[in-house]
Amino acid sequence: MLSRVADHLYWMSRQMERAENLARLVRVSEEMLLDDESLGRGSAQEYWTPVLAATAMEGAFRGLYPEPRQGDAARFLTLDLRNPDSILSCIKQARENARSVRDKISDEMWTELNALHMLVTSPEGAQLLARSPHSFYEKIIASSMLFDGITEATLTRDEGWNFLQLGRLLERADMTSRFLDIRSQTPAGDSALESLQWGAVLRACSAHASYRRLHGGEISVERVVDLLLFSNEFPRSVRHCLRRADEVLHDISGTPTGRYSNPCEKITGALLARLSFAGPGRSWPAGFMPTSTSCRRSSTAPVRRSSRPTCCCRAR
Amino acid sequence: MKLTDYRGANLFDELVDAQGAIRPYYRGVADKLAGLGPEELGHKLRSLELLFLKQGITFTVYGDEQGTERVFPFDPFPRVIPHHEWETIEAGLVQRITALNLFLYDVYHEQRIIKDGVVPPEVVFGASHYRPEFVGVSVPKDAYIHVCGTDLIRDRDGRYLVLEDNGRCPSGVSYVLENRAAMKRVFPHLFGASGVRPVDTYPSDLLATLRHVAPRENPNPNVVLLTPGVHNSAYFEHSFLARQMSIEIVEGRDLIALDGFVYMRTTRGLRQVDVIYRRIDDDFLDPQVFRKDSCLGVPGLVDAVRRGNVALANAIGTGVADDKVTYAYVPDMIRYYLCQEPILDQVPTYLAWRPDDFRYILENLPKLVVKAANESGGYGMLIGPTATAAEIEEFRRRVTATPRNYIAQPVVNFSQHPTLVDGGLEGRHVDLRPFVLWGDTVKVLPGGLTRVALKRGSLVVNSSQGGGSKDTWVLAA
Repeated sequence: MLSRVADHLYWMSRQMERAENLARLVRVSEEMLLDDESLGRGSAQEYWTPVLAATAMEGAFRGLYPEPRQGDAARFLTLDLRNPDSILSCIKQARENARSVRDKISDEMWTELNALHMLVTSPEGAQLLARSPHSFYEKIIASSMLFDGITEATLTRDEGWNFLQLGRLLERADMTSRFLDIRSQTPAGDSALESLQWGAVLRACSAHASYRRLHGGEISVERVVDLLLFSNEFPRSVRHCLRRADEVLHDISGTPTGRYSNPCEKITGALLARLSFAGPGRSWPAGFMPTSTSCRRSSTAPVRRSSRPTCCCRAR
Repeated sequence: MKLTDYRGANLFDELVDAQGAIRPYYRGVADKLAGLGPEELGHKLRSLELLFLKQGITFTVYGDEQGTERVFPFDPFPRVIPHHEWETIEAGLVQRITALNLFLYDVYHEQRIIKDGVVPPEVVFGASHYRPEFVGVSVPKDAYIHVCGTDLIRDRDGRYLVLEDNGRCPSGVSYVLENRAAMKRVFPHLFGASGVRPVDTYPSDLLATLRHVAPRENPNPNVVLLTPGVHNSAYFEHSFLARQMSIEIVEGRDLIALDGFVYMRTTRGLRQVDVIYRRIDDDFLDPQVFRKDSCLGVPGLVDAVRRGNVALANAIGTGVADDKVTYAYVPDMIRYYLCQEPILDQVPTYLAWRPDDFRYILENLPKLVVKAANESGGYGMLIGPTATAAEIEEFRRRVTATPRNYIAQPVVNFSQHPTLVDGGLEGRHVDLRPFVLWGDTVKVLPGGLTRVALKRGSLVVNSSQGGGSKDTWVLAA
């Protein structure tokens, strides 16, 4: 497979995953904000600051909206093309990447991605967002999941498949660790509020049902972190994603698991070891922050940037 | 759809004859279309549009900042070509590509046709796409034009005339295949017992044509399609064809020339390339030989071609054959190389560098179509009867400045075909671009791309200038 093709596939699936996670983040944040406002707690600005910080776009946002008004933050994260990491930008970049590798993906994958692109660039899409933001974000999430399912059901398990998986898994690990950051940076100090906020983190990661099944309805910070960071079973946990990514990397290179033949395998191996030794519950919060940060740093490493600035990863 | 209101005009109409009667080979499809109620038709038209949009069957319009991608407008009334007409067209096209390939071999080798005084030297050496650096260089199987798209129009009497040959990187074939697929999906009932010849073997025929010129003995040559990239207007087609042929679609940066061989960069290292179906003009192929500022090409590619280690389709330098001045000499070429009379006629052509023609052109600008000798896509063209005085003066200036670059032809009021406009049928001008493959055997894709000028009265069918397309049906008997 052409190296450039691998690059396009990797970034296409990363950008789809990113759009999906952003959609979930904005949707949950807007719902939370409604609660906050109706209870007269804090300002919208204070609320969005950690969210923007977690997407590493706070500076860009301040530059574009020096005096932000209501709805600006959500707009910035959703349909603002000046934000290279907005949902719209991600979908556009994903489609550009897909266009370059149409012969490597199935027709059904292309049709779904193209339909999503049509939705978010059409006046109907903007109207839907204005009328019913919830349905708008729902549609993006559903489309990304459908895309994933179509990929699963229509694509040969070859090298291209591996690069698609790699992109999605690394982005998922990255996003989960970012969502954890949002709340760990701003402890609420009020246990009722804290469980509300951590509940939102669970929803942003589609993890609320899994959590309830494991631990019942009571939300504890330690258990949320346990699930999202250390779980071996939950498919969006950092550890699960990294373990799968490590397997995929070994599939690509043909190196047996547990050994490494390139820096990427070394990084995922080291991260997994750290996650195993940090262990659930024990070393948090001391060992937790560095882990999620280094996960993000290394998630940009496995595929070296080629010459496409348009699909560049977050500058950190 | 109401057929009763449809009238022919003072020119050749594809559907109805001079008396207004539907031509026999159109009756089947016309009856079935007429049986569609307005509601059903509207529904079908919407599903067609959605189909194209959803699949992203689009092209890029240059000079348009905003809408980088557009759907190529499609008209559902198919153009029908009866068997006997197609036989003539097919024979004429085979004859023409044969003569053009012999001509190209000749001008890059002995140049007999010039020495024998059939084609004046300035026609060949003055063509901007003539490549003197390739004189004496042999290409695999002496094949220059592997893929040719020849534009045909029909005059007032229904005679097919060659308007131009596209022997460099002709595009449009993907629309032929996609139009047919869309018609089958949305109008399946039109096809029953109609005897339409299928078009879907084109990709495998094209692949066979490309493999035929592979330079090394290899049962499985590595054939790739070289594209300028996603921003090219024909990118959809490049990616479509690569997918249909299961070959890699590469950009210049994916290839590297080392010691006279060409390789592609893969995740497993370098892999040798045997045949390049290039959809990039000569000028951009290799910055070491042609344009220095090209970042689309591959430095060292031409050297590898010269050494015979990689084959290009089409070969370098074919532009001298589809030059609009050379065009005027194609009938003479056919007589010279093949000792045959041309099967297909062509449009009378005045060459501005001939003093008599030059005078005639300048005196008759408002009556003529003036074309730059080596432009395509409907760019660099003057249509006298509809041009403004300023445009005519602009062309007078240009023709006077560089006569070799211009030709003129009388306006051919070419044939019209019923086309759906606002729910009714109106006549719109159509042309036809069949595709010819020159490989082990010569194959002509049955039909080709029928382009339709959607603006009333317009004679410009190019997609970049407001043209659309139709499915083209060649009948088996």
